[in-house]
Amino acid sequence: MKLLWLASILGSSLLLAGNPEQEVNVNTRYTVESVELAGDNPSGISTGLRGELKRLVGAKLNPAALDDLATRIRQELHVRAVTHRLLRGQTPEHVRVVFDVRGTPAKFDASIPKLVYRSDGSFSGLAEGTATLGSQAFTFGGVSDGDNLAERYTGIVARYEDKRLVGDRVRFRLDFESYHEQWDQATANALDQPTAESDTSGIYRTRQNIEPVVTFVLAKSGSGLVNLTVGTSFERFQSQFPAARTESANAMVTTLRYHRRVEGSGANQQEWDAGYSLRAATNLLGSDFGYTRHQGDAHYAYTWGHNQFVDDLTGGEISGRAPLFERFILGNSTMLRGWNRFELDPLGGSRMVANTAEYRYRLFDVFYDSGAIWDQGETAVLRHSVGVGIRQNGMYAALAFPIKEGHIEPVFMVGMNY
Amino acid sequence: MARAKRERLSHDRKEVVTISRRGWLLAGVAIAASCLWAGERLSVAWDGDDLRVAAPQLHFLAGKPLDRLKDGAAVVFLTQLTLTTDNFTTSLRRTPERFIFSYDLWEEKFSVTKLGESQRTISHLSATAAEAWCLDNVAISSTGLPQDRPFWLRFELRAAEPKDEAAVIGESGLNLTRLIEIFSRRPRDQQPEWTADAGPLRLGELKRLVGRAARAL
Repeated sequence: MKLLWLASILGSSLLLAGNPEQEVNVNTRYTVESVELAGDNPSGISTGLRGELKRLVGAKLNPAALDDLATRIRQELHVRAVTHRLLRGQTPEHVRVVFDVRGTPAKFDASIPKLVYRSDGSFSGLAEGTATLGSQAFTFGGVSDGDNLAERYTGIVARYEDKRLVGDRVRFRLDFESYHEQWDQATANALDQPTAESDTSGIYRTRQNIEPVVTFVLAKSGSGLVNLTVGTSFERFQSQFPAARTESANAMVTTLRYHRRVEGSGANQQEWDAGYSLRAATNLLGSDFGYTRHQGDAHYAYTWGHNQFVDDLTGGEISGRAPLFERFILGNSTMLRGWNRFELDPLGGSRMVANTAEYRYRLFDVFYDSGAIWDQGETAVLRHSVGVGIRQNGMYAALAFPIKEGHIEPVFMVGMNY
Repeated sequence: MARAKRERLSHDRKEVVTISRRGWLLAGVAIAASCLWAGERLSVAWDGDDLRVAAPQLHFLAGKPLDRLKDGAAVVFLTQLTLTTDNFTTSLRRTPERFIFSYDLWEEKFSVTKLGESQRTISHLSATAAEAWCLDNVAISSTGLPQDRPFWLRFELRAAEPKDEAAVIGESGLNLTRLIEIFSRRPRDQQPEWTADAGPLRLGELKRLVGRAARAL
């Protein structure tokens, strides 16, 4: 008898435990005409969730489903709050559902965007702290990088960013960098060659850059994004030879980027990313150097289950006399891995093309890199390398072998986010 | 002599007193607040079993709750009547109630549901009529209260926080405790709350409701 009594209480509780709002909100008799996302950066939700939003259209209003979807949107976008409201539809007895996405909360994040050690003795790292207040972010960090350029640059970076300068279509960013430079002996020796001075600058002790840019979101859809960034880079550096003097390389900067991610059935996903950037230094901006630097890159990733195939293609060309920091290099921890960049070209090159193809399965990855670096008037020599690696939660360890004749010395790399 | 001196000093002080802008502002806020308080008069009637209240000046369908209703959401209002015989030192009896309001976007009318063992819903109401229906459905038993004994009534009404709504509109037995707990804590900054007191009253002196009047105070 007691069991029967308990069962009846439990049963009635379950019956009443549905969603009372479903029964008492008078608007539940209306049909959903459309679902919209409004507010801060609402486009970043997954295709799966977007599909669930679409499925609301044509069905009777279900407040519990709206609450659930608002929670999931908030979790996906990492925003402060997502609320929903109803508006009358165009058709009688229909309602429009609007999800309002309200910005990111004030917070402070510390991050290590790059940390890599190479067995040839090179260590590079960047640590940043970012304070975010609404759409505005202030970043300050320290860097020591001997991997990206012909030089090792060590110093500070600071950045101000407003992601909603005009709505969510126009963003503003101001970068400040101040570095102290160190040079490999191979680079110093190469600059002693008579032709070097006509191709690039001499070595410099310090370098500062101030770069204000504005980014326009030209097109934005559920899976695609096209951005155009325009701005100016005011770069000054103090040359050491033949006498200490300050030179500048002030350039107009323009970057066009395209990104698209398509989620297929199951766990299949394809991602495209492509960009073209132009830096044009001119006397009009008070630059001591006149040059144009073109660089293009394309990234494709196809994921199916635990498998992933990734291909990265990069190429660039410099015309005119550009300082050393603008020149391209290969043989670092991301391009033509396994090669020593000072053996390939200690000054960097004015022409470069490189490709990386990777297959990843769970933690493991194998890669094949190829590329060429040269200067105008020289013949491009294509070089190759292969390697294996382990990747987990941003940590990456890889062993890369250059494919060449003679003695082969593999390069071991370990780090995160590079 | 001394008194004359005191009066002279007082007079001198009055001449030098100046009221700052902050003082004027505080005075203005105090006057406005007292007007609002005075507006929320609680009238009490007795139908022989229960005490019923009315507050025609109370308009709680306003501000944020009204905004949420106009956005198509259902809003839960919690009410509580407290009966005391010692001017609120201790409470003799409490009756918390839950009402869910919603606003029909197409008909522009309100719908109200009183939750509980005998759930009741009424729709196609104006804002004023919906508020009145809510108060009509609030009562507290007078059982055991002598006709000549003074008593006090306090009526509290609070809009539930959206995140509390699921807890307070669930199964009845479980959540009455939760209701009392909610009323016993201070309202959050953004949580609208209205309170009105009446007393001392005596049953023998109250207006006696009979028949239909008992339902339409």
